[in-house]
Amino acid sequence: MATREERVSVGKGFSLSGPATPLPELVRGIWSSRRLLALLSRKEFFVRYRRASFGVVWALVLPLLQAVVLAVVVSRFVTFETDGNFTLFVFAGTLAWSFFSQTISGGTTAIVDNADMSAKIYFPRALFPLVVVGSGLYGLVISAFILEVFVLGFGEFVPPRAALLVPAIAVLVALSTAASLVLSALQVYFRDMKYVIAAALLPWFYLTPIFYPLDRVGRLRTLVEINPVTGAVELLRAATVGADRGWTVALGWTVLWTVALLVLAALIHRRHDRVMSDLL
Amino acid sequence: MSSVPVIEVNGVGKRYVKYEDTPTLVGHALRLRSRTRRSALWALRGADLHVQRGECVGVIGRNGSGKSTLLRMLAGVTAPTEGTVTVRGQVAPLIAVGVGFHPELTGRENVYVSGTILGLTRRQIDERFDEIIDFAEIEGFVDTPVKFFSSGMYVRLGFSVSVLADPDVLLVDEVLAVGDLAFQMKCFDRMQAVRESGTTIVVVSHNLNAIRRLCDRSAVLHAGEMRFDGGTGDAIALFHELLGESREVDADSGRDVFRPTGAARLSHFALASTNGSDAHATVSAGSRARFEADLQCELDIAAPYLSLRVFHESGVQVYGETVAVEGGLRAGDRQAVSVELPVELPRGSYSAELLLIGLDATLHATPPPPILFYVDGRDGVRGVADLHASFTLRPRE
Repeated sequence: MATREERVSVGKGFSLSGPATPLPELVRGIWSSRRLLALLSRKEFFVRYRRASFGVVWALVLPLLQAVVLAVVVSRFVTFETDGNFTLFVFAGTLAWSFFSQTISGGTTAIVDNADMSAKIYFPRALFPLVVVGSGLYGLVISAFILEVFVLGFGEFVPPRAALLVPAIAVLVALSTAASLVLSALQVYFRDMKYVIAAALLPWFYLTPIFYPLDRVGRLRTLVEINPVTGAVELLRAATVGADRGWTVALGWTVLWTVALLVLAALIHRRHDRVMSDLL
Repeated sequence: MSSVPVIEVNGVGKRYVKYEDTPTLVGHALRLRSRTRRSALWALRGADLHVQRGECVGVIGRNGSGKSTLLRMLAGVTAPTEGTVTVRGQVAPLIAVGVGFHPELTGRENVYVSGTILGLTRRQIDERFDEIIDFAEIEGFVDTPVKFFSSGMYVRLGFSVSVLADPDVLLVDEVLAVGDLAFQMKCFDRMQAVRESGTTIVVVSHNLNAIRRLCDRSAVLHAGEMRFDGGTGDAIALFHELLGESREVDADSGRDVFRPTGAARLSHFALASTNGSDAHATVSAGSRARFEADLQCELDIAAPYLSLRVFHESGVQVYGETVAVEGGLRAGDRQAVSVELPVELPRGSYSAELLLIGLDATLHATPPPPILFYVDGRDGVRGVADLHASFTLRPRE
């Protein structure tokens, strides 16, 4: 059969001795599973809303609703000086935050949730958290587009800014991916990881400039700047409603965090990729 | 055709670490327990197995013998602790109960997802799609979410995708017992065809019939050790001997529900072959089997009965007969018990029990460990008894 010869020549198969997987092999494994990654991400996104009456609309409406509620409540107590419409300012924040928080909480349990599949068939375990990121990306891209349309509608659209939308999404995705890769592997060993994350996300939300501008935090400024999500939020704002003053420092931290987490993820997955299923 | 083997397992061992209590992050941070208690267990040690292209190898062994561990390593799901496992080519496990099927997705969508997992391109799935659906017999349900599928449909679709994905190595784990008889037979035929096309197959099963039908060669695993690698007939015989040994151990631990009166002792219950050679646990259909035992009486028994029971591996009682011991038994009597019967049974594993009972079914002696034996039945015979049907065809005027 021609198909078999064809696939053997592609170099399928493996040779295992000892638990560690060489990093190039791991990366090659993920790269060769890219079609699977795309397919699973797409299915995951559409399946989630298949049983809902408005389907995918939910994915788009929720961050917007959160932004409106937050903007209304916050403006009852404080008035922040923002460049443009306050609700849009908050929407940019909730959009980035909800992508990040949903991705890392879904990513944390991704490997453990797919235990039955992992026990039968091998592909790099990193694929499970990557699917969570990939399926979230659909909602993020559409919502970011909607945000850009609103910005246009409120007459705040500045064309050069919009060019930052692609790097903004890229940074947000890179950070969420790196964090999910680390957390998903840790969850295999420490089953309380997901509760730790759920608890951490509560204060984390308030330490992220979602409903307040970066320059209004006073003494907490350094802490908020070091927060890896801050830079991602600010870059998304820079691409839409305009960033807060002095945001580039925060972006520097975000990039640093992303690189550090990716290195950590590589180390953990290199060592544990092929033995994770023993603990599932 | 001794080329490079498709599967090469060299000196492979796998050690699992079992945690007494699962480690937690919070526990670590708070140092609630300085060290998690854990114990290590070698599930498999020193295993060697070389399989050539197009071979079909069975792996048999009791639960916990290391079969699944071996299979998991061949699937690449887990890495060995020592030694090397090399598989050359694409591996496909039979996606047994539709593992990897998403319940909300339709049959069609799941075929694409599973096919992609098994390394097929979209075009390859397109080409095979109709054949997959046709083989799984789920026409009319292609666009139904699989959560509405019957368990049979689920299994059929899983089998169909795995087999038609045309892998280089097919791993079969206890799947053949599912589906109805007609589908099982279709699966067997398909697997023969798959094998002839050059796919290497490894079958792990308790169903010795399946192994015997598919594999010329089998490996026996026992307590994490590979005890045998060779002809399937010899492998099955050895497996039954090993089963017998462990049964005796079980019986010694004394977990009998019915407490015998202890009026007599039954011992040395064994299968004696009638054709002279020493007792091997395989009997061919149509021959006569003789069971022997020693009976020693401690007390007088007024109305003793001897009872022989034969069970199929499925637990079904195939046969049972109870006969009165003429004249009763006196204390101090020693008797050699011999029970002979024609083996008119289909192929499969059976066990035989010998009991000494009283009128009201009281047990007079601790039952000796049951004898396990394999019947090499006639081809084409199924069921629980071989009734020797004769088929005739006559041209009608």
